Amino acid sequence: MSTLKIKNLHVKVGEKEILKGINLEVTTGEIHAIMGPNGNGKSTLLSAIMGHPKYTVTSGSILLDDQDVLEMSVDERARAGLFLGMQYPQEIPGVTNSDFLKAAMNARREEPISLFKFIRTLDKNIEELDMDENLAHRYLNEGFSGGEKKRNEILQMKLLQPKFALLDEIDSGLDVDALRVVSEAINSMRSDDFGCVMVSHYERLFELVKPTHVHVLVQGQIVMSGGYELVEKIDREGYEWIKELGIELEQEEDKRIILGTCGKKEQLKHE
Amino acid sequence: MNKYVLNSEFYIVFNNGDCQESHLPDRVCYQEGVLSFDNIQPVEVQVIYLLDKSQSMDLCIKVASRSEVSLIESKLLDSQASLHKTMMIANDAIMHVFSENTSQDAKSEEDIYLKENAVCQYGYAELSDESFDGQYHYYLQGEGADVKVRMAILSKAKEKKHFEVLIEHLAPHTYGQMDNYGVVKDEGKLVIDGIGTITKGQHGSASHQTNKIMVFDAKCVASANPYLYIDEYDVKASHAAGVGKMDEEHLYYLQSRGLSKKQAMHLITYGYLKPVIEVVDNEMLKERFEKALSKVGA
Repeated sequence: MSTLKIKNLHVKVGEKEILKGINLEVTTGEIHAIMGPNGNGKSTLLSAIMGHPKYTVTSGSILLDDQDVLEMSVDERARAGLFLGMQYPQEIPGVTNSDFLKAAMNARREEPISLFKFIRTLDKNIEELDMDENLAHRYLNEGFSGGEKKRNEILQMKLLQPKFALLDEIDSGLDVDALRVVSEAINSMRSDDFGCVMVSHYERLFELVKPTHVHVLVQGQIVMSGGYELVEKIDREGYEWIKELGIELEQEEDKRIILGTCGKKEQLKHE
Repeated sequence: MNKYVLNSEFYIVFNNGDCQESHLPDRVCYQEGVLSFDNIQPVEVQVIYLLDKSQSMDLCIKVASRSEVSLIESKLLDSQASLHKTMMIANDAIMHVFSENTSQDAKSEEDIYLKENAVCQYGYAELSDESFDGQYHYYLQGEGADVKVRMAILSKAKEKKHFEVLIEHLAPHTYGQMDNYGVVKDEGKLVIDGIGTITKGQHGSASHQTNKIMVFDAKCVASANPYLYIDEYDVKASHAAGVGKMDEEHLYYLQSRGLSKKQAMHLITYGYLKPVIEVVDNEMLKERFEKALSKVGA
C-alpha cells in the first residue's frame, strides 16, 4: 500500500498564484475525481505533482510514502511510481513509439526487458486499446488524432504500471467507443496497488470509471469532498450551489469561450 | 588513423591517391584516377579515402548510362588533407551514396554532374571528432535530373565545421532538394550554407532546401544560411532555415515517463537527425547510417 500526501500546496505560474493551499491524500486502491469550473487549478495540481518546470511550488509538501516528491526531478518522480496522462501530449518527430516505450519501460527496471517480451506486451496492449497496429513504428504522437494521443497515454500507463496515475482530461477528444475502451483500460488497472487522480469536465467518464472520492476544486482550493453523489449533483445543478456555501465563484463570465469544448457546459448554464 | 573496416564484398581503398587494395565487380574498374562503373546489374561498392597529413588527392567517378550503383564512402583524412572528387552520372543512371566521415581537421571538395534523368541520392553523416570543411556541389546538366541531399552534422567540443551545399539547375525540369540538419554542443561551431540556383530557361524545375540547427549549450555558435538564386519564372522553390534549442516540453514529456534528461536528449537528437536516413532507399545503408547516428547525443 502506498500513499500520496499533498499538504497545504501553494503553486504559482509566473507571478500568479493558482493553487492556494491544497490538501489531498490518495491511497492505492482509491480513485479520486477532481471536478470544478475551468481555470480553477485542476490541471495545475496534476502538473505540479509531476514537476512541470513552468509551475513553482511556493509552499506546502508532497509526499509519496516517506519520499519528498518536491525534492525529485521529473524523471525521478516517474521512476518512483507517478504517472501523468497529459491533456496535450507532445508530438516528437523522429522518435518511434517503440524506441520511446522500450526506453521508458527500461528506465524503471534493473534488467532491460527482453525484446521478445517487450513486443508481446506491446502488441497485447495495442490490441486491447484497439489502436493502430503500426503504432510501434510511427513517430511518437506525430500526426495522431486527439483520440489516438489519449489512447497512447493510456497505453503508456498500462506498460509502466505506476503506483499513482494522474489523468488530466483523458476523455477529451474521445468518441463514445474510444471512451469505453479507455475506461475499461483504467478499470483494468484498479487494484490495491494502484491509485488514480482523474480530472474531467464530464460525468460520463466518472460513470464509466466510478471514483471512490470526489473533490471540488474552486479558486485553487478544494472546497468540498465527498463520494460519487457529488458527481451527480454537479451534473444536475452545475456549480452555482457552491456560492450558497459562501464561496465566491470566479467564473470567467465576460470572457467568450471561443473553442467550446470543456467550458461549453458551463457557458450554456449561464445563458 | 587508417583504421577502416571492409564489410562489403566489393571495395576499393585509396591511400594518398593510389589504389592500395581493391576487389571490384565486373565492368567496374579503376585506372589512372578514374573509377568507372559500366555495370548492367546493380552493384554495391565500398570506397575508402585515406589521406596522410597535408596530402591531397583527385578522383573522378564515372557512372555510365543506366548503371545502378550504391556507394558506401568512408573519409579518413588526416589534418590539413584535402580530397577533390568529381562524379559524372550519365543519363538514366541511378546513384545512392552513404558517406561517413571520420577525418581530422581536413577538407573535401566534391563536384557532382548529372545528365538527363540521372538520379542521385546522397546521405552524409558528418559526425567526425574534428573540424571539417565540406563543399558539395551538384550540377543538374540534363533535363529530368534529380538530386536529393541529406546531411546530419554534429559539431561538439571545440570543433569548427562548415558545409556548403550547392545545387545548380542547368537544364529544364530538374529537381533538387537538400535537407541539412545540424546539432551543436559544447563550444562547437557550425555554419551551413545551402545554395539553390536556377538559371534562365530552366522552366519546370524545383529547388527546395531545409537547413536546421539545434544548439545545446550557451557557447555554441551556429548559423544556417539559405540562398536561392532564381532567374526563371516557371519554377518551384522553397527554403527554410532555423537555429533553435531543444524543445523543453519534449524533454519534460520524455522525462515524465522516467527517462533521465540525458536519455531524453539522446532520443530527441537521434530522432531529429534521423530523417537523413530516409533519403537512402537501400536497407543495408540505412542500418549503417542509423548505427553512425546512434553515437550522437551520447
